[in-house]
Amino acid sequence: MAYPFSSDHEMIREVLSDFLQNWYENGKGPERIYQSGKSFDENIWSRFAEDLGMAGVAISEDFGGGGLDDLGRVVVMEELGASLCAIPFLTTGGEVVDIISKIAKNQFKEEYLQKIAKGKIKGIFCPGHLSEEKKCINSANADTADFILISRLKNKIIEVVCLKVGTPGLEINSKKTIDPTRSFSDVDWSQVSDRDFLPIGTAEINFFTDIISQSQISLAAECVGGAQKCLDMTLEYTSQRVQFGRPIASFQAIKHRCADMFILIETARSAVYAAAVATKDKKTESSLIAKAYATEAFFKVAGDAIQLHGGIGFTWEYPLHLFFKRSRANRSMFGMPSEDYKLLADNIFGDKP
Amino acid sequence: MSDLRNKFSKWMENNFCGEYECLRGRATPGDEDAFPGLRLKWEREMGAAGWIGIGWPTEFGGKGATLDEIVGFNEEYASHGGPGRAGHIGETLLAPTIIAFGTDQQKARYLPGIKAGKEFWCQGYSEPNAGSDLSNIKTKASLENNQWVINGQKIWTSLAMDSDYIFVVARAAEGSKGRQGLVFLLVKLDQPGIEIRPIKQMSGTAEFNEVFFDGAVCSNEDIIGGVGDGWKIAMALLGFERGASTLGQQMTFADEFRQIVDLAKANGSAKNPLIRQRIAKSYAGLKIMRFTALRTLEAAEKGDTTKEGYISKIFWSSWHRELGELAMDVMGKEAEILKNGEYNKLQKLFLFSRSDTIYGGTNQIQRNIIAERALGMPKEPRGGGTVMKG
Repeated sequence: MAYPFSSDHEMIREVLSDFLQNWYENGKGPERIYQSGKSFDENIWSRFAEDLGMAGVAISEDFGGGGLDDLGRVVVMEELGASLCAIPFLTTGGEVVDIISKIAKNQFKEEYLQKIAKGKIKGIFCPGHLSEEKKCINSANADTADFILISRLKNKIIEVVCLKVGTPGLEINSKKTIDPTRSFSDVDWSQVSDRDFLPIGTAEINFFTDIISQSQISLAAECVGGAQKCLDMTLEYTSQRVQFGRPIASFQAIKHRCADMFILIETARSAVYAAAVATKDKKTESSLIAKAYATEAFFKVAGDAIQLHGGIGFTWEYPLHLFFKRSRANRSMFGMPSEDYKLLADNIFGDKP
Repeated sequence: MSDLRNKFSKWMENNFCGEYECLRGRATPGDEDAFPGLRLKWEREMGAAGWIGIGWPTEFGGKGATLDEIVGFNEEYASHGGPGRAGHIGETLLAPTIIAFGTDQQKARYLPGIKAGKEFWCQGYSEPNAGSDLSNIKTKASLENNQWVINGQKIWTSLAMDSDYIFVVARAAEGSKGRQGLVFLLVKLDQPGIEIRPIKQMSGTAEFNEVFFDGAVCSNEDIIGGVGDGWKIAMALLGFERGASTLGQQMTFADEFRQIVDLAKANGSAKNPLIRQRIAKSYAGLKIMRFTALRTLEAAEKGDTTKEGYISKIFWSSWHRELGELAMDVMGKEAEILKNGEYNKLQKLFLFSRSDTIYGGTNQIQRNIIAERALGMPKEPRGGGTVMKG
């Protein structure tokens, strides 16, 4: 299945596109957010969650969610990417929902998933089992989280615990970032008392590989949405901008660059859709490919869009720089593309130099 | 796996062996002049067993196979190492055109020969001055005593040396220009008015040819459509293939890729981190090529036209050309050495893949097509016959 969308998916896309582009308002939406000094639009998050039911798009219907698969999330992430909407769906609606759905006990599961679906609480996940240190550097959306899920090694099994924000000793230091539409913070739980960690379940190491795959697919989908928006803006601008007595869109130099952007976007899209519907044995590899390829594609397309807009594309006033900055920020999430390709090469050669 | 695919897989196992063994993985683009006699024999073998034209409607001797089954068929063929199909132009391009636009007489005359793997076809489109600007056709056809008389020249004609017939787009209406006034003719190659000259390419091989027409003839009944329909028929023909063979082609690419990986392991270039990055990117590109082809095919099955189909040619050709460059870098110092005085498979790949981005619409023309048809950007101005001089 490479062309897998159902009418449910298409309906979500339509509704979300209207809603988010209305918020985006030719860049005024993201601008309002970063000028307010916040990284997050509470109002839009609660409407996104309550009115549209999108925060819990991947939560089971039993707990008030939309009950859609990875593809549903792909559609949501594409539309979020196209609007640079400052809400923490990637984290809360993504890995947090998956971890709770799959390993939490009934009471915790019911309470948290219902609240997430209603937009009442937001969370992040810190993969603490990967290192000795009890902290997480540059964690996305941590500054707006209400709770934090942490994985940690305990007697050779991996346990996931929950920490409420506000717990004594928990430090969340948000940082100024180049991309003003998504926050990054350092999270440090080394000073938190042991009794404040609420255990919610245990899991095998492979479980976290799947969690990462899901996040990679979501991030890649966001890149596709952002890149598509950059191309759309470029097509519109170049059709209106007249130089030498004709729209610059009629010059081959412009047409060919746009064609190359389209090639990158459509191939990235194929990679994302394929990863979203991949069978279990192909999930890890296809997610890695989707993420490496789509983050690179978005970065290239956003840069090309600035070039084809000429001077206006380089201004702060025009919103393209926000897409360019987001595209760069996405390259640094869940590992750089060069690291992804290194992993892929290790698999192809069956070695590790 | 579908029944048909299963059956074909077994048939390949039992029949693609013995004397045909030497054809394994051969006659792919860049190698299409390998073993001509044996390859035509292999086509007759396929034809006798009913494996040619499986996608044709049953009334014309086909199996009415679905797109899915045709894809499966192509994948099985490639995975068994079947050689490049000498008859694919007749089977996948001309036959569907005859079925759609031809007369009953043409169907009865030409389809059986294609189906049996006994009559081979080549495509007479490009001319010395009608390359990217394909409608600038100068070859003339005039109706004299109830037969068409053809004068002119075609070029870059693949497989002409192994073919029995050529379909020719020629200008019939006196004084017509561009897409107007063209005819689509079915012409026997073996006749006094036709001369075929192979073109030796930079790869050292000669798959492309020039075909000269000097008073060549065909019957008035060998026209598909009427005078002025030539362009429409010629373009419709190009649309019939629908990418069903793309997945088979990708299996050939996968074999080439695997060979490069094995070589890198054997000669130590697998230790080079930059080579490793390029190998990984090439692998990702190959996977994405497959995902994109499946997306297009599945959309087509559902009856949707999607725009990503426009990128297929430029994506695979650019990917393949880069694979050729990668192959040479993986070979390292040995890349320049001819063992036994001949190009090896990877050296051929490197050289021949330079043509991938040219034939069947150059990358530059592909970008025009994408910009204009997929993105709705302004069309290129058409020259009025004047030449700008610098």
